[in-house]
Amino acid sequence: MKRIIAFGLIALAACGPRKVHEAPVMVNGDRVKGVDDAVAVAGTRSEAGQIAASQRRDSIAAAAHGSCRGAVCASLARGEIALGMNETQVMAATRTTHDAWSVRNSGNSTVMVAQRPGLTPRDALGEVAMVQLMDGRVGSYSYREAQGMRVVTSPAEASAEGRARAVSETLMREGDQLIAAGDRAGALDRYDRASVLRQNDAMLQYRIATLLDQQLRPIEAVVRYQRFLHQLEIEKIQATGDANAKLANAIAHARERIIVLERNR
Amino acid sequence: MMSSAFTFHVRRALCTATLGLAVLACNNKRVSRIEPTSVTDLSGRWNDADSRLVANELITQSLAGPWIAQFTSARGSAPTVIVGDFRNKTMEHIAVGTFVRDLERAFVNSQSVRLVASAAERQDVRAERADQQTNAAAETRSKIAREQGAQYMLQGDVQAIVDAEGSEKVVYYQVDATMIDLESNAKVWVGQHKIKKYIDRRRIGW
Repeated sequence: MKRIIAFGLIALAACGPRKVHEAPVMVNGDRVKGVDDAVAVAGTRSEAGQIAASQRRDSIAAAAHGSCRGAVCASLARGEIALGMNETQVMAATRTTHDAWSVRNSGNSTVMVAQRPGLTPRDALGEVAMVQLMDGRVGSYSYREAQGMRVVTSPAEASAEGRARAVSETLMREGDQLIAAGDRAGALDRYDRASVLRQNDAMLQYRIATLLDQQLRPIEAVVRYQRFLHQLEIEKIQATGDANAKLANAIAHARERIIVLERNR
Repeated sequence: MMSSAFTFHVRRALCTATLGLAVLACNNKRVSRIEPTSVTDLSGRWNDADSRLVANELITQSLAGPWIAQFTSARGSAPTVIVGDFRNKTMEHIAVGTFVRDLERAFVNSQSVRLVASAAERQDVRAERADQQTNAAAETRSKIAREQGAQYMLQGDVQAIVDAEGSEKVVYYQVDATMIDLESNAKVWVGQHKIKKYIDRRRIGW
């Protein structure tokens, strides 16, 4: 009898009320659809979008190539923005469409910037931060680079040498700021990187030598001081040569003038 | 007299053994193929149905997000993604690879995203390419230093909260996935899926 009562109590305890009363949203035997449907829908949508974007890009490229001349054509082929391009050619060079740009017109000036700050259009050289057009032609454009903005306003600045010069100047400026902030190691790093791009800059060698000297690295400092002096010698010879050349030109010019004046007398 | 008692014992032992075997034979094994999309919850732990639910949700969320269209319009090509670390931060064993592979398959098959081999996968590929430089015919060699760099990395984790009282247990799983811009560290897409399970282990009930 006692056993029956005990079993009854256990059974009652086991069948106590549930604490959670929520209807199940999925039970055994239900189906969870495979991922194929989701992929198919996304694929169809993506394909349609890609075809439309590709058609827009192709028509922009066709218009850009149809209206280009000389250096602009060469830049388009390289995928680089160049001075003198029009708005369509800028888009063709960056392989973008109107969706990527925010274009603001003010009088005869037009400014093109990225539509979304995190997604700036790129040409073959880098991220294009801003393009400024005057009378429908590119007058200046700027790249966003690791050291800051690089602005191109002349053909010389657009060349590889111009780019190297701009980058080295930014590095040197950064180095100067780091020295002012007391970070000599950081400054040395920037000057070192700048010296790769400006191998014939005597004053840069002097700055590196001084920094190495202050950091108690005498052997490297001596080499840099020697390079500085050597560079100065070369510059002196160059300067003398230039002065002599100018002098020779002046002498020749003066002699020619004397002959002409004497003949006319 | 002795021999008849012995025979009786032997017979009884044989009968017991036969009965025992008959009982054991009833505990037979059954194997059958079932539909892979069916929900089969046995223990209440993470299973294939959970993995499929997560995969479906993350695929829909990631491919419908604006980040792909924005990148494609700004750069003129589909974004390239590398799959990074997907961590299981629960106490349970969860094979995260199942839904991550589903996600990869969706990226590749939808052609919305380019996918490059992850850090672990590319070691074998690089070894093969290096081997080709020595042993393969020149015109069939894969060129070196032509790997495609990714713009985004997919990372994520699975976390769980367990609450139990007596024979009842509630497990809450949260799967988070994030697409991170490799240059700027900006998170361009965050996907999430939550699963809540109620497990009742009462032996007797109605």
